[in-house]
Amino acid sequence: MAEVGQSVSGEPAIEVDDVRFRYAASGPEVLHGVSLRIEQGEYLALIGQNGGGKTTLAKHFNGLLKPVTGFVRTMGADTRTASVAQLARTVGYVYQNPDHQIFAQKVRTEVAFGPGNLKLGPQEIERRVDEALRLVGLREYADDFAFSLGRGLRQKLAVASVLAMAPPVLVVDEPTTGLDLQGSRSILDLLGAWNADGRTIVVVTHDLALVAERVPRTVVIADGHIVADGPTRRVLSDTGVLDRAFLRPPQVTRVAQRLGEFGVAADVMTVTELHAELRRAMGM
Amino acid sequence: MPVGYSIYVERPSRIHQRIDPRTKLAALGTVFVLALAFNHPAVLAGIMLLLLVAARLAQLPWRSLLPFLMGSIWFLVLGLLIWPLYVRGGPQLFQVLGARIYLNGVLFGLAMGLRVALMVIAAGIWMMTTSPQKLTAGLLRLGLPYKAGVAMTAAIRFVPLLNAERITITEAQQARALDLRREPLIRRMLKSIAIIGPLFVRSIDVAQALALALEARGFAARDGRTSIIQIDMTPADRAILLVLAAACLVALALRVLGVGLISRDYL
Repeated sequence: MAEVGQSVSGEPAIEVDDVRFRYAASGPEVLHGVSLRIEQGEYLALIGQNGGGKTTLAKHFNGLLKPVTGFVRTMGADTRTASVAQLARTVGYVYQNPDHQIFAQKVRTEVAFGPGNLKLGPQEIERRVDEALRLVGLREYADDFAFSLGRGLRQKLAVASVLAMAPPVLVVDEPTTGLDLQGSRSILDLLGAWNADGRTIVVVTHDLALVAERVPRTVVIADGHIVADGPTRRVLSDTGVLDRAFLRPPQVTRVAQRLGEFGVAADVMTVTELHAELRRAMGM
Repeated sequence: MPVGYSIYVERPSRIHQRIDPRTKLAALGTVFVLALAFNHPAVLAGIMLLLLVAARLAQLPWRSLLPFLMGSIWFLVLGLLIWPLYVRGGPQLFQVLGARIYLNGVLFGLAMGLRVALMVIAAGIWMMTTSPQKLTAGLLRLGLPYKAGVAMTAAIRFVPLLNAERITITEAQQARALDLRREPLIRRMLKSIAIIGPLFVRSIDVAQALALALEARGFAARDGRTSIIQIDMTPADRAILLVLAAACLVALALRVLGVGLISRDYL
């Protein structure tokens, strides 16, 4: 996995330059001059309160929204001049609600839709479908009725149907909505495995505990501004910044911060880490 | 503000605020009767003028009427193109491609265009001056079962909701490289299923959730139901209804007598 800010090859995966955006010409400005650079191979979380502009920013990455001023480049392509369908080759976008995209009867057909749109050959499509279903653990459901899957599996199906297009950049919007802890973890693990292959992942979420456990870089967006950007450990233990975004550090981090008087570090991210810190502080 | 998608324009006019929705419905019906009773363009143009005066009284901005007026022009053009080939009578005007065109034909074509335009504009003014809620309240008082009334308002309310769903679904599929514009017609139709399918499923989901939420709040627990919108017939309403009824009767009588017609052979 690439270190934060370190590029695998020269070109950034996503480059956002001073982007301002409003939904309607006379409406309020939603993004106020956002700049962000995401290198290839990074695994990044975009966090923030509801209505803060996370999804609005994420939708700029694959050209669903076009900046009013400023520009966005994904793998070098300017999103202002490329269509969403063209950009879909380089940027995959998984929607929050899988029911907004599932239409096929069979799981296999659903996953084959994206690669089909890319005009790949039938053998290549079959190979990609099998691979994607294997990655998300849905291979045994390949011939099942797509709508009959449970919520967690439908979410995985939505992810698989974008993975099958093998985009070098993957944006996943709120992948853990409506999922229990196990389901959420398995989705983030899946994204981690995909990232380990050198692909870029942006996950939009407000589940800070999961971000703390699994995602190396975190960008906080509040009220249309980026208020923090850096290694997850540093960002999520910075109570001041999170306060401004109306977020709170993960519970385990807050516990550690309360235990500061006993010499426990303030940037603890996981239960395992807290355990180790406590042992150290107690001289065990 | 009315809830949901409608072309209703809120204005402090008498027509909006004072006149009962039932009276306005009757007025719409009357315009339809009048439009069908006459087929002389002068008479129909007179009625059109009255309609525009009504729109003025309702303080509707001309801009909101523009789409209806523009649409009406098409009906006029269509009427003028088709009817002169069929209707004869009056002095001959000219000949095109071997067909003789008479004055009556042109006038009748004009009348047919005006007739459709009248109905369209009247319906437009009616919808712009009657909020969906008041319309429903009016229909309930006319004896529509209130469950049907709720279904009606819910349907109006659902238009923007489902439109938002459609946009999200389209975006989600575009992100999977679906580009309908670049496909040939047949494939475009086949691939549209990727949008229509989820939209269908979402509609059913949303409707089911709404039904549950309504029932959970005691909908249809009793036979009768009170309404937050109170409507009452005032003396002004009764006077208007009387005038409307008289206008219908006079129009029918004139039709029988053959007054205000270009041709008795066509409606």
